[in-house]
Amino acid sequence: MAVYVEDRESDAPADPVSTAVHLQPTRRTGLAERFSPTDPEPGLELTRNPHVARFIRNRKFQFLLIVPNQVIFWTVIFVGIAGTAIPGLNFGAAITWYVWFCLVFVMMVVVGRAWCAMCPFGGFAEWIQRRTFWRRTQKTLGLGRKFPEPLARLGFLIPVVSFIVLTWIEEFFNIAGPGNPADTSWMVVGIVSSALIFFLVFERRTFCRYVCPLSTLIGTVGSMGSVAGFRTKDREVCLACQTKDCMRGSEKGYGCPWYTWPGSADSNLSCGLCSECYKSCPEGNVGLFLQRPLTSVVAPRRRRADVAWGIAALWGLVLFQQFNATNAYTSLDNWLNRYMAIPHYPNPVDYLGIIALGALLLAGVAWLVSRGLGRRDVPETYRDSFVDRTSRFRAFFVPMAYGLIPVVGADYFARQLPKFFKHSARVVPAVAHIAGFMSTSSTIYGFHILSNGWIVVVQVAVIIAGTAAAAWATWRIAGRELVPVSRNALGVRLTTLSVVLACGAAASVLYVLMHAAS
Amino acid sequence: MAIAMTDNQTAVTDRPQVHVLVDRCAGCQECVIRCPAGALDMDPGRWVAIADDERCVGCRQCVRTCPFSAILVTGPALAGTRVTTEVVHPEPLLSDVREVRQGLRGWDEALAEAQRCLTCPDPTCVRGCPAHNDIPGFIAAIAERDLDKAHAILRRTSVLPDICSRVCNQSAQCEGACTWSLAGDTPVAIGQLERFVTQERPVPPPQRGRDADLSVAIVGAGPGGIGAAWALVEAGAAVTVYERDPVPAGLLGWGIPDFTLPQTVVSRPWGQLEEAGVTLHCGAEVDAEALEQLLADNDAVVVATGASVPVRLPIPGADLDGVTDATTFLKTAQAAFESDDGVPAWLTAMGLHPADEAGKAAHVLVLGAGNTAMDVARTARRLGLSATCVDWLDERFSLARPDELAEAREEGVVVRFARTVSGIEGEGGRVRSARLTLTRQEQADRPPKVLDGQPPETVDVDLVVMAMGYRPDPELAAQLPGTPVRRQAHGVPDRQWTASGVLANPASAFAFHNPVGTLALGREVGLQAAAFPVRDRLWVVGDALVGPSTVVEAMSQGRRAAAALLAARPRRPGKRELERSRRALVCYASEGGHTANAARSVADELADKGLSVRMLPIDRVGPAELAAADVLVLGSWVKGFVVANVGPPPEVRAWLDRLPRLGGMPVALFCTYAVNPRSTLAQMAKSFEQRGARVVASSALRHGGNKVAAVAFARRTLAGVRETEGATAGAVGVS
Repeated sequence: MAVYVEDRESDAPADPVSTAVHLQPTRRTGLAERFSPTDPEPGLELTRNPHVARFIRNRKFQFLLIVPNQVIFWTVIFVGIAGTAIPGLNFGAAITWYVWFCLVFVMMVVVGRAWCAMCPFGGFAEWIQRRTFWRRTQKTLGLGRKFPEPLARLGFLIPVVSFIVLTWIEEFFNIAGPGNPADTSWMVVGIVSSALIFFLVFERRTFCRYVCPLSTLIGTVGSMGSVAGFRTKDREVCLACQTKDCMRGSEKGYGCPWYTWPGSADSNLSCGLCSECYKSCPEGNVGLFLQRPLTSVVAPRRRRADVAWGIAALWGLVLFQQFNATNAYTSLDNWLNRYMAIPHYPNPVDYLGIIALGALLLAGVAWLVSRGLGRRDVPETYRDSFVDRTSRFRAFFVPMAYGLIPVVGADYFARQLPKFFKHSARVVPAVAHIAGFMSTSSTIYGFHILSNGWIVVVQVAVIIAGTAAAAWATWRIAGRELVPVSRNALGVRLTTLSVVLACGAAASVLYVLMHAAS
Repeated sequence: MAIAMTDNQTAVTDRPQVHVLVDRCAGCQECVIRCPAGALDMDPGRWVAIADDERCVGCRQCVRTCPFSAILVTGPALAGTRVTTEVVHPEPLLSDVREVRQGLRGWDEALAEAQRCLTCPDPTCVRGCPAHNDIPGFIAAIAERDLDKAHAILRRTSVLPDICSRVCNQSAQCEGACTWSLAGDTPVAIGQLERFVTQERPVPPPQRGRDADLSVAIVGAGPGGIGAAWALVEAGAAVTVYERDPVPAGLLGWGIPDFTLPQTVVSRPWGQLEEAGVTLHCGAEVDAEALEQLLADNDAVVVATGASVPVRLPIPGADLDGVTDATTFLKTAQAAFESDDGVPAWLTAMGLHPADEAGKAAHVLVLGAGNTAMDVARTARRLGLSATCVDWLDERFSLARPDELAEAREEGVVVRFARTVSGIEGEGGRVRSARLTLTRQEQADRPPKVLDGQPPETVDVDLVVMAMGYRPDPELAAQLPGTPVRRQAHGVPDRQWTASGVLANPASAFAFHNPVGTLALGREVGLQAAAFPVRDRLWVVGDALVGPSTVVEAMSQGRRAAAALLAARPRRPGKRELERSRRALVCYASEGGHTANAARSVADELADKGLSVRMLPIDRVGPAELAAADVLVLGSWVKGFVVANVGPPPEVRAWLDRLPRLGGMPVALFCTYAVNPRSTLAQMAKSFEQRGARVVASSALRHGGNKVAAVAFARRTLAGVRETEGATAGAVGVS
C-alpha cells in the first residue's frame, strides 16, 4: 500500500466549491525574457541551509533583529535628552552620527534593505500596529487605510522629498554635526512618532514603502547589494498558486508589508527582508537568495522613472553636502541669508537650488545624449503613468540614472567616513559616561583611526571604486538598453561611460576641495 | 481590440473604467484569472496588469481580489435590469393561503435573467450558497435550454431545489454574494432561476443504489433528514426514518405557511423517498433511551430533530393568557385554514374577536421581525387580525428577507425596528398592552443597545406571539455531546475564500448590510461539523447540530453527514466487519525535520500493515481531511526550554483548539523531543478527549535513531485501534 506523502488527493467527496471554480489561465507571455536575467541561481539560496531556514521561519526572527536596535535607540532618546550636552561624550549623539549612519551604508551596499529588517522606528510602530512583538495576530490596531492613490502613484519620490526635508532640518539645527545631543533625540522621537502615526492610519508598512526618508536611499543604494531578498524558487508554482498567501497572509505569516510579490520580484528594491512571505508560503516555494553584486542595478528589465528621478535628486543632495564645505558656498549662503532674513545656514533657496541643479544637470545631460544619439522612432507609451511612461528622453535618462547608483552610493558613504574615522572611538567613553566613567580627557576620546589626509585618500578611493562599479554597470546597461534606441552603438556607450567618469571625478574633486577648505 | 492603459483618475462616464496602480501591481494575476469579462491582461514588459475598459463590466471582482489593492474601478456596474416577478396578494386576504410569490413567466424571462450571470471564474455566489450549488453551471444550462443538465448540476449539491428556491433568504446567501451584489448593484435572480428549473421540469426522484449492507436510522423528517435519507438511499443503505409529527417534513410542513411554501411542494420529497424505499415512521417520538436502542439496532444513526422549542422572551407578563409562541400559533392557524369554519373557531379559541363593524380587528403583536415573525404576522392578517412586528435590530441590518419584509408591509403588517418589548401588562389575567423601548444598533455585527433612559411606548394588544425563532430540545441535546456547534469561523479565514473576494466587501446593501462572506464562513463551520459523529456511529445535522438555522443548511448538513457515514462504513456491535482497508491520516508539525521523519516511519509501518495512509503537515489538515480518515495519528515537536514552558508548539495548540468534534475517532499521538517532553502528550491527549476522540496510543520519541521506536508506536496504534473497536485483526488489515 502506497504512502501518500504530502499529497492533497483523497477519497473524500469532491469539494462542490472547487467544482464550480473555473479560473482563467495565467498569462505567461514574455515570462522568461522578463525574469531570467534577474532570477537568482538556485545554488545561492541561503535557506537551503536548515539552520538558516529554521531561524528565518521562526516568528521571532525579525523581533530578534529589531530588539538590539530598539534598545540602542531608546537609549539614544533618553541619554540624548538627559545626558551630557557634550556631543562626543553623549551616547545618543555619538552612536548615531559617528557609527550608525556609516554602518547603515555598509549594510546597504552589502545586503540591501538589511536596516529595514531591523529598523527600530518601523519595527516599533509595527509592534503597535500588530499588537504583538512577533506573533501572527488577526486583529490590528489602527485604521488600516490604503495610501492615497495619487500619492502612491509617485512611487519612491515622496521618500526622497522627505529625505531632503529631513536633511535640511538636520543641517539647519546642526543635529548631525553633532550639535546639541538633545536635538538628535528629538529627531529620533520625530521619526518614531511619524512612523507610528502612519502605521496607525495606513495598512502594512505604508510608511516604510512610501514615506520613510531613508527608503529610496536604502532601496537604490541597496540594489548594489549581494542579497537578492526573498524570491520564488519556482515561478510556475507561484503562478499556479491561487491564494497568494505571501501577499494576503496566512496563519503563519502576514501578507508582504512592502507590497512585493516574490513571484515577480526582479530586484531587491522593495524587499524589506522581513521574511513574512517565507513564513506564509504554503508550498515552501520562497527562499532567501544571494546574488552577484550590482545584479539589481544592471539586470532588471523594468526601469522606473520614480527611481531614476530619486537617484538624480539624491545625487543633487550629496553634491550639496560636499559643496557646502567650500568657501564659495559659504559666501553664497551668507549673501542669500542676508537678503532673505534667514538666520543661518543653510538657506532653503540655495539648498534646494543646488539639489535641483545637480539633478537637472544629470537629466540635461541625458536629454542631450537622447537628442544627439537617440533614434527618433522611440515610441511614447503609457502616457498616463508617471512611473512607466516612455519617451526618447526617458529611454536614456532612466537607464543612465540606474547606472549611476554606485557613484551616488559611494559618494554618500564617503561623506560619512570623516566622522567615523575621526570620532567613532568616542562611543567607548560615551557608553562609559552613562555609568559615570570617562570624560573628554580620556585618551580614547581623542583617538582618531585615520588622520584628515588619509581620510581624503580613503574617500577618493571609495569614489573610485564606486565609479568603477558604475562604469561597469553603465556599460552593461547601455549595451542592452541604450544601444537599441541609439543611432551610434559605440558612441552611446562611450558617452554614458564618460558621464559616469565625470560624476566620479566631480565627487573626488569636491572631496579634495572640502579638505582644502577645512 | 485596443488595450488602453489607464493609470490615473478620470471622470465618471457611462462605462466603467479600470485604473491599475502600476507602482503597486505585482503582476500576480489574481485579478486576471478571476475577471469574468476577460477585461484584464498582462503587460509582459512591465509585468503589471492592464485593462481593456471596453470589456470591463464594472463588477469590481478585480478590486476585491487584488491582494495589494492596486486596482480601482470607477463608473457604473453594467448589471442590466433584473427581471421582476409578480407578487400576488389575495384580495381579500382572509383565509386565502395561495402562494404569493410567483415564478418567472416563461423562457423569455428566464433566458433574459440567465444572461445577466457573468459566469464568474471564481463564483462568490457558490460560496454564499450554503449548499454550494454550482450556480453559474445551472444558469448556463438554462441559457442552453437544457433543464436536464440544470437538474443534474443542482442534484450534485441539493435535493430540495423547489423548496430552497422558495424559502431561502437569497439576499444573505447566493444573491447577497453575487458579484453584482458585492459591487453594489442588483444581483442575478438566482432563486427564481432555480425555481424556474423545477417549475418547468419536476425534481427527479432518487435512484435506489445497490444494497450496501448498511442500516441507518434517521430521527427527524425535516430538511436535514431528507438530505441524509436521499444520499443514503441512493447509496443503497437501508434507511428508516422516525418522525415525531403525524406527517413528515418537520418545520417545512407546519412552520412555513402555504402562501410561502405550498403543501404540494412540501410533500414532494417524502413521496419520492418513500417510493425509493425509505421506511418512514411518523408519530414516533425518539427519546434518549430509544436513541440508544436505535444505535444498538442500526449501523449508524443520524439525528435531525431540528429546533422545535420556541424561544420565549423572559419579560414581565410573559405568562399572561394571550401570550403564545410561533409554533402554537402557526400549527393551530394551519389547522384552522384547512377546515371551512376553522378561522372563527380559532379566533374563539384564542380569545380574540373578528373585525368589528368599523373594521377594527384584534391586534397581534409579534416579537421579532425575522422570517418566522413575518410568517406569523402575515398569517395573522389572513386570520383577519391586525399585526405589528417589533424587532430590536436596526432595519438596515434586518435578518428578514427583503422581499418578505416588503410583502408583509404590502399586506398591512406594521414592522417596527429598533424597538424591544420591555414588558407586557394584562387585565384579568389576559394580555392588554405591551411596553416598547427604543434600541440603537450601529453595526451589523454588534447587538443593539437598549435605550433604557427613553420613556417606553405603550401599545394596546390582544395577542402577543413570540417569534424570535426556535431552539433544539434541551433534553435531547444533552444526549448529543458537542452540540450546538457555534457557526463562527476562527483564525485566518480559509485562503481560497479570501482569494475569491467574497470577504472583501462584507456589507452588501442588497443583503441589508449583513456581512455575507462572514455569514457564509460561519455556515461552513456547521457544514464541516456535520461530517463528524458526535459519538461513535451517531451523527447530528441541522438545527439539532448548530441551533436554529435554515432549510438549505440542514439539507446540506444531512448530505454531508451521509457522505461521511458512507465513507466511514460504521458497523453495529456484533455485525461482521467489512473487508476493507482503514484510512489512516498521519499528520505532523515538524520544526527541524525529526518529527516529519518519525511520521514517515509511522506512515510506512501503517501502510505495510494494510492501511490506506495519507501523510500531511498539520497546516494542510482541515475538517475535510479529518473527515476522510478512520484513524488519526498526530506527531508534534516539543517546544520549551528543558523545564520551562514545555509542551506542544503554538501552531499545534492552535490546530487542536480548532478541531471539530471527533466522536469516537481512534487517535494516536507522538512527540519528538531532545531533553524532556514533560506533559506534551498529555496536553495533546486532553484536547482530543474533550472532543470525544479515543486516544489509543501515545509515545514520546527521542531525537535521532527513533525509527525503531516509531515502528513500535505504529504497531501499538494498530493494536489500540483493534482493541477499542473490538474488531478482528483482519478488519484493520493487520496480517
